Amino acid sequence: MTRAMRRSLAAATGALLVAATTAACGGGGSGDSEGDGTLSVWIMQGTNPDAEDFFADVSTAFEEETGATLDVEFVEWGDAHDRFVTSIAGGTTPDVAETGTTWTPEFADAGALAPLDEYVDGAGVTDDLVEGLVEAGTYDEQLYGMPWYAGVRSLVYNTEMFEQAGVEPPTTWAELEDAAAALKKEFPDKVAVAVPGDAEFTVYPWVWAAGGEVATLDGDTWTSGLDSPEAQEGIGFWTGLATEGGYSSSGATTWRETDVLDSFAAGDVGMAVMGSWTPGAIVEANPDMEGKFAAVPIPGQDGGIAPSVLGGSHLSMFETADDKDLAWTFVEMMTTGEFAQQWAEQSGYFPGQVSLLDETLASTDPLVAPFAEQFVDGGASVPAAPTYGAVQAKLTTSTMMQSILSGDADVATASTAAAEEMTSILNGAG
Amino acid sequence: MTAPAPPTPSTPMPSTRAAAPDGAGAAGGVAGGWAGRARAAAVRPWLLLAPALLVLAVLLLWPLVRVGLFSLQDYGLREITTGEPNWIGLENYREILATPELWTVVLPNTVGFAVLSVVGTVAFGTAVAVLLASLGTFWRTVTSSAIMAAWAMPAVTGTYVWVWIFDADRGVFNDVLMNLGLLDDPTNWFTNRWTFYAIVLLNVIHHGFPFVAVTVLAGLLGVPKEMLEAAEMDGAGSFRRFFSIVVPQLRQVFAVVIILSTIWDFKVFAQVYLMPGGAGSNRSVLNLGVWSYVESFGQNRYGFGSAIAVLLTLLLLAITAVYVRTVLAEEER
Repeated sequence: MTRAMRRSLAAATGALLVAATTAACGGGGSGDSEGDGTLSVWIMQGTNPDAEDFFADVSTAFEEETGATLDVEFVEWGDAHDRFVTSIAGGTTPDVAETGTTWTPEFADAGALAPLDEYVDGAGVTDDLVEGLVEAGTYDEQLYGMPWYAGVRSLVYNTEMFEQAGVEPPTTWAELEDAAAALKKEFPDKVAVAVPGDAEFTVYPWVWAAGGEVATLDGDTWTSGLDSPEAQEGIGFWTGLATEGGYSSSGATTWRETDVLDSFAAGDVGMAVMGSWTPGAIVEANPDMEGKFAAVPIPGQDGGIAPSVLGGSHLSMFETADDKDLAWTFVEMMTTGEFAQQWAEQSGYFPGQVSLLDETLASTDPLVAPFAEQFVDGGASVPAAPTYGAVQAKLTTSTMMQSILSGDADVATASTAAAEEMTSILNGAG
Repeated sequence: MTAPAPPTPSTPMPSTRAAAPDGAGAAGGVAGGWAGRARAAAVRPWLLLAPALLVLAVLLLWPLVRVGLFSLQDYGLREITTGEPNWIGLENYREILATPELWTVVLPNTVGFAVLSVVGTVAFGTAVAVLLASLGTFWRTVTSSAIMAAWAMPAVTGTYVWVWIFDADRGVFNDVLMNLGLLDDPTNWFTNRWTFYAIVLLNVIHHGFPFVAVTVLAGLLGVPKEMLEAAEMDGAGSFRRFFSIVVPQLRQVFAVVIILSTIWDFKVFAQVYLMPGGAGSNRSVLNLGVWSYVESFGQNRYGFGSAIAVLLTLLLLAITAVYVRTVLAEEER
């Protein structure tokens, strides 16, 4: 298949590049002795509540295996992008860093990251990585981000409210609408289904389920599909729940995912699209919610599962890393096997290695199994363009949602404007 | 003018600049064997100034020059990594001025908001200052401590408090209106351009008036009591006394607070960015600060952002220059 060909071509180019960089570094000479040295690593803060202890264990294991010390620095998600940019500018990037899946192509495009194909092939895990994460970490046919962990959004619902209203979790769009109507009737002061205006990842599942696309690449040109009839049908259904059905709330027009979480945790929301990492946060915010909510995969239009974005992180190796083999040793240790498994368990995310995922899939936990099903059968990626971060910064999709929800524009007008803007930014001057 | 007034921000610069040529001129006039000493005298002020000038040049001038240079380039992440310049002349400036959004949304929002908030801040701050001046020591201390708390609150915290107050579902404001029967369903005040900026205005005035109050109070306390008493004997009412005696005495104070408020209110960022929809998803509320952030940092277009910064600086310089000139012209009359 073409995919295999692309893979081997990528591997070959990767090998060449690696050879070239190693040759170039040879003079500077960290050499092949792995006996000393320090590996600097940036890890995003807040994913794993127990990150300090986890990395203490990793440091010990890493030192035992390589003799090198590990220097882990925790960086806030909010500051991270700016810090990466300034460190790229100053040539002070870490050797290895956790990069959000949408950043990896951007930093690769800037020439800051080292391709990983050769290492991945060498470790023999090429076919054992989660597809959606490989896709997101691939730029110009080379892998720059090693899949580490990811989460996925599904439909989370309040079981108490569902029981009292006498409805079952929906499996089709029609059932979802009926459930919302029943909830609204039973709880007129609550939000039957939260349709947030500032949360792009809650929008795309409906677009994909209706057969639409967020954006597609043809040759060198990206085209946003948000204005296609299929996409408009999906957006129309999702926003219609709020604008026609009145099942959402006027406040939700400006809600972000954190606001959805707050309201759901307060017991004010019947159902909402929420991430696989949120159950812990819901109970933490309101212990009374324990055992009072469950999840189902996001329903497809006439059944099946609507695809949902795999949001997560890669581990990326920077070009500035002196000892790339040492860096890879760390990356492999973190993303495969025992530590990857442990990280996933502690953080509530899914590991990026398929063979580890099988265990999670066997789980019967009502707050794990539905997400796992969504992860495997309904996982998708946002456009893996280096400019996608710019689309996110411009809040193109949120702008569309907010103007529809506030009644400023209809679905056709708003989605056409959004598609135009997204296409133009994706093919941006940069 | 004998009214005590705080130094205007421009005072240190002209005086140092004036000192140097004066010294040089005086020394230059001396002839013969004095020449060496004269030269030393001419150089000395510059020598003494050198450390300060050097620090200023490194900390202020060089970044300024860099911003100017960036604004002439298409400077993105790739240029940062490679370190290669990418000159495009005035293209960034052309693109900025050709953006319809700038003229229809961004500038009207920025200028309109700045005018309203400067007027609001200065008027309210002055009113509070007059109140403070008429209070006894104890109540003055209590009141000024209270307003200092508003001043000390970080902009981010303050903004979140206002957002909570006006929150659609759990905010106090909607709650009160609904209990009074003035509102049937919760309204989202952040989606409408006018209500959005009304909230920002409250926030900014609340945060900005203490500075005005304290500064104007300092001026008020320096207004000679005799003049006010004399005016009162002549039959001038309190409004007449305020506008005919106090305000002219405080002209320089007002110049300072108006210029500073204008600069601050033009650059408002956090108070808009942190509001629901203010980060760019509600395009009708974009102001210059948020717009330039989204367009430059969000898009990794640092050259474009620099060009916006240069234009904003020029605009503020122009406003300040015009204002200072009018104040000075009135004073000479």
